[in-house]
Formats: sequence, C-alpha cells, structure tokens
Amino acid sequence: MKRMFEELIRHKVVLFDGGMGSMLIAAGLGEGEVPESWNLSRPEAVADVHAAYIDAGAEVIQTNTFGATRLKLAASASGRALDVTAVNAAGAELVHRAREESGRSGIFVAGDIGPTGQFFPPVGILTEKDALDAFREQAKALEAAGVDLFLIETMYDIREAVAALRGVREVSSRPVIVEQTFEKKPRGYFSLVGDTPARGIEVLPAEGADMIGANCTLSSGDMIDLVSEFRNATAVPLLFQPNAGNPEMEHGNPVYRQRPEEFARDVERIVRAGANAVGGCCGTTPAFISAVHDCLVHGR
Amino acid sequence: MNNLYEECAGAVLAGDSARAEELARKAMEEKLPPLEVIEKGFVKGIKEVGRLWEEGSLFLPELVMGAEAMKKAMAVIRPALEGGEDASNVQGRVVIGTIEGDIHDIGKTLVATMLSANGFEIADLGADVPVERFIEEAQRIDADCIAISALLTTTMNGQKRVVDALEERSMRQAVKVVVGGAPCSAEWAEEIGADGYAGDAVGAVRLLKGLIGRGA
Repeated sequence: MKRMFEELIRHKVVLFDGGMGSMLIAAGLGEGEVPESWNLSRPEAVADVHAAYIDAGAEVIQTNTFGATRLKLAASASGRALDVTAVNAAGAELVHRAREESGRSGIFVAGDIGPTGQFFPPVGILTEKDALDAFREQAKALEAAGVDLFLIETMYDIREAVAALRGVREVSSRPVIVEQTFEKKPRGYFSLVGDTPARGIEVLPAEGADMIGANCTLSSGDMIDLVSEFRNATAVPLLFQPNAGNPEMEHGNPVYRQRPEEFARDVERIVRAGANAVGGCCGTTPAFISAVHDCLVHGR
Repeated sequence: MNNLYEECAGAVLAGDSARAEELARKAMEEKLPPLEVIEKGFVKGIKEVGRLWEEGSLFLPELVMGAEAMKKAMAVIRPALEGGEDASNVQGRVVIGTIEGDIHDIGKTLVATMLSANGFEIADLGADVPVERFIEEAQRIDADCIAISALLTTTMNGQKRVVDALEERSMRQAVKVVVGGAPCSAEWAEEIGADGYAGDAVGAVRLLKGLIGRGA
C-alpha cells in the first residue's frame, strides 16, 4: 500500500475529498450531535457523502472520524455516549462501502484524525502521554478496520501533531500524512500557538510523516503563498485543503459566497505552487471537488 | 517609582506570574496608590500583550501567560482597593459561556481570561450552556453583560434565543448582550438585536470597556 500511494503521487496530482460537517448538517445533523455519532446512528447519510465525493472525482476519501479520540468525544454528551473503537471502525467501514458500491478502482481510504481540542500547558493541561494514548487508541481502531493511509489534520500545535504521528506509527506502517493549520498574520503564516511552517517541515518528516501540508483556517486564495513557502523549503510530498472562503450570514443562515469555479482556479495555482495533492475543507462540497477535478483533468 | 511600574508591565509582558505577584506585593508594601500601580504598571503590560497578539508577534501561550500574570498581580492588589476610594475598579460584571449544543471552549475561555485580566468580574459558565442558565446567572450576580460564544453555524441561533429570552422577561434594557465566535459578525449581532460583536479577545475587552466599562 505504501508503495502504491507513493507511485500515485509521483505520477499525478491526487485529489482528496472536501468538507463533511456541513454536508451532514444539510442532511439534518442536529445541535449538540457530534458528526461522528452518525457513523453509527445514520450510516447511510455518511456513506452518501462519501459516494458523492467519489462521484465528484475524489481519489482519497477521509473517514468521518475527525473528532473520534476519547479526549475529544469526552467533551460532549453526544460524544461521551460513543465507543471509540466502534465509531472509528464504523467510519472506516462506511468509506469501504461507498468505494465498493461505486465500483471504482484506485480509491483510497484515509483514516482521519483531528486534534483533541485540548491544549498543552500553559494554555491547557493536556499531557504528552494522554495525547499519545488517545491517538494510539484511535489509530489502532482505524488500522484494524483496514484504512489505506492515515490523515492527521488541522493541527495547531506541533507537539500534538507529533503525538498523533507517534500514536499512528506505534500501530501501523501505512502512509501517514500530517496537515497543520495556519493563520495568515502580517508577519507570515503562524499556527494558533505560534508554530511556523518551517518548524513542521523540519520536525514532521523526521518523525515519520510521508506527506505534509496544511488545511482549514485559510481560504483557497490565502493558501497559495503558504504552498510556495512549503515547496521552497522541502522536497517532501505536499497536500493542501483550503476552506471555501468564509461564511457570511444571510437571514440567519451561513452562506458560502465563493463559487466552486473560483475555488478550483485558486487550487490550480496551489498545484502550480508545488502541491502534490489537493482537496477541500470547511464549506467545500462535492461541487467544489468536481470543479477541481475538471481543472486537473482538462487543465493539463 | 517609575522604574517599578515598568517592571510591573515587563513582568506581565514576559508572562512571569511569580515576578508579577512579587512586584505587586512590593508596591503595596511601599504604599503606592493601588489604582496607579494597576494603571501605570500592570495594565500597560497587558495592553502591550494585546497589541502584540493582534499584530501577530506573540501567540496563544504568551497571551494566556500574560493574562495569568495580570490576574496574580490583581489578586494581590485587590484587597487594598476594596473599601477604598478605588472600589469602583471592577469594570463590570460579565456572564460568559458557549451556547448549548456547542462544546468549543477555547475562544470563550480566552475572552474570559482577558476580560478578567482587564478588571472585569467574570462568571464563566463553560461550554454547552442552556439559554436559561445565562439568564439565571445574570440575575444572580446582577450582571451588566452576557457574552455568548458560538463556533458553529448550527448553534449560533442560540445567541438569538438568549436575546429573545431577555426581552420576554423585560430584562433586555438592564443587560447588554455581546456575541463572538467564528461564524459571527457585527452584522449578525445587529440582526439578532445584540449590542456588539468582537472578533477576538483583545477586541472583546475594547468592546466591553465601551459598553459597560467604568472609567480607567
């Protein structure tokens, strides 16, 4: 599998999928329900989203397990009711199901791992051991359920990214991707706790990441310079998944004003800046991924 | 004396709680006017922390450590203020929380910390807070303001429900309402009839000083 994925990214720009949360909200996910709970309570709705992204041309599909560590689940009543192993296993199973039903080959299942939502000192009281234990537990469940690779994403603290990476590495030899999340500040790109891209570029591959990059926080346009910064500093394969602009409120409902075509044009520039793989994050839908797919196929 | 004030500001800027506490004690032992120690010393430090945060020159850990140092110093100085001519130093009472259905705690806690560091009295209800809890707590502590965080487009309507509930109880005139969180905006605040919106913790301090601040 590792060889297969390496071969894939060597020969083409690989297309990942887009946002899950907003799709589930559109399907009726209620206030106070964690999205991962639907892996067990509304599996067909989750599988439908995966199927829509496969139809749109995505080749790597992320499991609906972003918040499925015990630390993150413990933060809500809806999450506390879930069993870590069951919710992760179901998450992987739903991508497998969508892949089989599509009849398509060359689709990869990415076991998705997001941050615990807690902070290391001085901001919070998270310990390296608790983080590592939680990530290892999630990774073990995803590994047992047969994911093809791991995608650690939206990491705002390099220490937590490393804990997740080590947790995965302790239970799996599959490819691991790590995406950090950065804000654009007057002085450059920084994470919430002040990590620079340079730090991730230095630390993550050394810790065993096969691919690195960034997702969330930034809109597609704001991410282009970040891609150049990464590419100028490393030869490691790169993945970027920007947000679809910022939502604006209209009659009490969030509206994403950015059109899929605009997003796709920015993503073309992200590819030219050196990305080996692209996809979407918050606010992106199968229409966005489809537009990117058209650009990637017809644009070259 | 000026030098001591500079050291006070420096301790907050460095996020050095132990040093801030020690300097506050020293200032009290030297019988310096408490309000002046706060305003010319520690507040200068926390303002600089806020400025550097907005500029992107320091980040969450430094912001939190600066606010903690500020709180430590304030805890030492507060007894000297109470009963004295400076008793009005409390900027205002604020009930803060993340609305029900929403477990995002980080931004809200940060706003609470910065408000507290800037002299506001804070009742932090945590996350996933029902509409009723905001109202009960506001009544209990005779709050000047309710600050509601929502990080999800699915939960932000809860902010409106708090405003509506205050209206129903004829409490709306007595309590200001401010909102924050990623999907919120000044337009959203206006649409739901809230009194204001802030995009980050430093902005929230500015907003509340304008709305309910008592001098200083």
